[in-house]
Amino acid sequence: MIRETGKASRLRGLMRGAAVLALALAGSLCSRAADAPQIQKDQVQLDVSKAGPRAVESLTQHGILRDYGSAWTSLAHALEFNTLDPLDGPFVGTAKKWLTERVLGQQRSGLRSRYQDQSHKLQAIFYAPEGDVIELHDTAEYRLQVLDGAKAVHDERVVVHYVVLMTPGADRWVIRQLQAVSQF
Amino acid sequence: MNRALLIILIAATALLMAVAFFMPAGPGATVGVASGSALPGFSPKANTPEQAMANVLLDVKRRNWDRAFVGVSKTSGVDERAFIEDWTGSSGSLRTFSNLEGFESRPLHATNDEAQMRVRLHWSTPVGPEEEARDFRLMREGDTWKVVWPHTETASVPAQVIPVDYLRWDLVSGGAEDEWGARNVDAPHVRILSMNAVQAGDGSVVMGEVVNEDTIPAFVNVNATVVDGSGNAIDEESSFDKIAHILLPKQVSPYRVDFPQISLQRVKNVRMDVKATLVPASADPVIGVMDQRLEPDAQGKNVLRGNLFNESGQTVNIPHVVASFYDNNGKVVWVADGYVERALLPQSSEPFAVEVPRALVGKVQNFHVVVNQYSLGRS
Amino acid sequence: MRRLLLLCAGAVLLAGASAGQELRVPPSVSAGEDATISTAGSGQATFYVVGPGVASKSSVNLGEEIQLHGQDLRNAGHYMAIVCSSTCQSASFYVIAAKPTNLSFLVHPSRVPVGQENAVSGVALPFDTFHNLVLSPAEVNFTMNAANAALFSRSVHMQQGIGWFRTSSGKTAGTVRVVASVADLSARRAVQQVASDPCNLRMQGQRTAKGITVQTEPVRDCSGNPVSDGTIVSFGAVTANGRSTVDAPIKHGVARAQIEGSGAAVVSVASGVVIGNELHIGAQQ
Repeated sequence: MIRETGKASRLRGLMRGAAVLALALAGSLCSRAADAPQIQKDQVQLDVSKAGPRAVESLTQHGILRDYGSAWTSLAHALEFNTLDPLDGPFVGTAKKWLTERVLGQQRSGLRSRYQDQSHKLQAIFYAPEGDVIELHDTAEYRLQVLDGAKAVHDERVVVHYVVLMTPGADRWVIRQLQAVSQF
Repeated sequence: MNRALLIILIAATALLMAVAFFMPAGPGATVGVASGSALPGFSPKANTPEQAMANVLLDVKRRNWDRAFVGVSKTSGVDERAFIEDWTGSSGSLRTFSNLEGFESRPLHATNDEAQMRVRLHWSTPVGPEEEARDFRLMREGDTWKVVWPHTETASVPAQVIPVDYLRWDLVSGGAEDEWGARNVDAPHVRILSMNAVQAGDGSVVMGEVVNEDTIPAFVNVNATVVDGSGNAIDEESSFDKIAHILLPKQVSPYRVDFPQISLQRVKNVRMDVKATLVPASADPVIGVMDQRLEPDAQGKNVLRGNLFNESGQTVNIPHVVASFYDNNGKVVWVADGYVERALLPQSSEPFAVEVPRALVGKVQNFHVVVNQYSLGRS
Repeated sequence: MRRLLLLCAGAVLLAGASAGQELRVPPSVSAGEDATISTAGSGQATFYVVGPGVASKSSVNLGEEIQLHGQDLRNAGHYMAIVCSSTCQSASFYVIAAKPTNLSFLVHPSRVPVGQENAVSGVALPFDTFHNLVLSPAEVNFTMNAANAALFSRSVHMQQGIGWFRTSSGKTAGTVRVVASVADLSARRAVQQVASDPCNLRMQGQRTAKGITVQTEPVRDCSGNPVSDGTIVSFGAVTANGRSTVDAPIKHGVARAQIEGSGAAVVSVASGVVIGNELHIGAQQ
């Protein structure tokens, strides 16, 4: 019968702990890798000083910041992994239709698109008297990668100007129109 | 050795079965689910008022109507059909969807030939468990006791034609593919008139009144979120059935939102959210609330009682009463509700009662009753 | 030295190949119109186009023009054209909205009490046939008409695809037609102008065999508009047996209720915050 000394036992315990920690860390890293990158809170800025005729309420401002950022995270996820689920909720109407068609097109041709290191400078330029629609100008900057299978066919840091229409949904602001323009 | 053990076990089982079979249910205060004969079809002889009552109620519970009716005194003046209808309900009322789950009885007083018993009946219903208290008179007939079944007055509506000024709102809603903004109709404008949060038992209750300020009917639901000192939401609940959901223009309804496990001590703020949606609705039937008064009931509880009067020509299958109680400053201090077991037939009345907590009896200066109606096959 | 020369030659060849793939895209394309992308060089290549609602891949011959069909360029926005042979080249272009063919017109509220300041508002947004928001400047006319009278008319300069107005409600209850028009396009909406709170609420009552029947006079607001049918009028009666209440809806301009009981009663009437007259009705003889 082999008896462990106290020191060896402690060492084994430590190694076991380290292994568990390493596994947990690896798991967390893997799960992160599988997700599309989250947009940092400070990477979405909103200026409401020029909005009218209705002044943008503080709660609305926070809601738009939160929901616009989260919509772009969903967009990035949908276009990177060619899945339609993330589009349910943050997008409605034309915006949802276009993104859905884009995902289906990518699925057919074996393409994927990555939107990385996003930053969005939003300016509210119109907020309806009844608060049922807001028009935003977004100067978006991101690294756009287009992949054919595993091969990157395009990789560029771009600045794109978007005209955005958002409307209040049941529990959040949703994007109805997301239309890029050459300039505002 | 094994054979001896087997014989002992069989003998003990037989003995216990015999004891259970022949031993009458005790005359104690509680007779119900756990009591009565162990074998269906055999009832102990009704040689005490308690046993007679228990026999009838156990057979009612099992829906052995013929056997139950044997325990009813001939002097009652009710036929078996009326007896059955008393238990099973009619006209799609709440009682028709309910089952007797158990009962407790206790004697109020007794002589050699006559006794009075108070029975608490426990019903399971589609709107949750309900409790009913009824007093019964029992008489000795020979060597057995029988229940004198109270004759229940059922509304009898004569055949007639009742003209209706039909007023109804239908809703034409756009499909998902409709052009944006083309078929929008604003949701009804509904406002919370008052809100009051109080401690109730171990939990807390948020209550008040809500009004439809619009010119169309609204389907209304009130949600409340209780928030702690750090601004974190502790829980969120809705008014569920403690509200009149469909409000006609200018109609006011009480609402009550219960947080059974959350002490008011923990709550620093309450966030209210009233949701109003467009629904098809009818202005009928109109139900009047007659002879409302606060008084103690037979069990000493304080109740608001009155009669519901159906002014229309439609049967209301399940009437539901929601009442708000105000203090002398007009503040809502309690909201209570209750379902009426019987259907409310056209041009007829049914009594109702809702309980007022003992602690609030002195505070209550005024009250307001609204009536929800659930009618089969109609919205 | 020979190695250096070889390296230089390789670099020149590569540069030549890259230049050979050069893409020339149109500066901008109107939505739904065909477009042409020209390439230089020779040989086979893979052509990708990625844009709003579009992601496709095809084989092309370098040196030939690539035709993009209007069907693939319906959605306004930023497009990326990529061509790959040994290396990849890309160019981006924008598709802009075509002529407006319909107006989204959001009008609020659907129901408005008469005589309310700045209570009605509308927002018009022009879209082309492919649902692109048209951002070019335009004039939009807003008009609001009651049955026989023009209540409001205004011309507004649309900016960034939006034109809006705000105005007060009229004095008479009824349906008002609100129209937005841009050139030959128009969109119509209906706003229901409704009566305000009842004014001078009065009732009459009489004893019947069953109890008391009460009925209001026609319920109108202070401008004389009939209060909407369905509005609740609350009747209350205090008798020796307690208090009776009936919430009755207005039908055809009046509300009526039946109150059970044979004793003397004091009957009151109210609707919302408006309180009407009181009746003292004696007991049944």
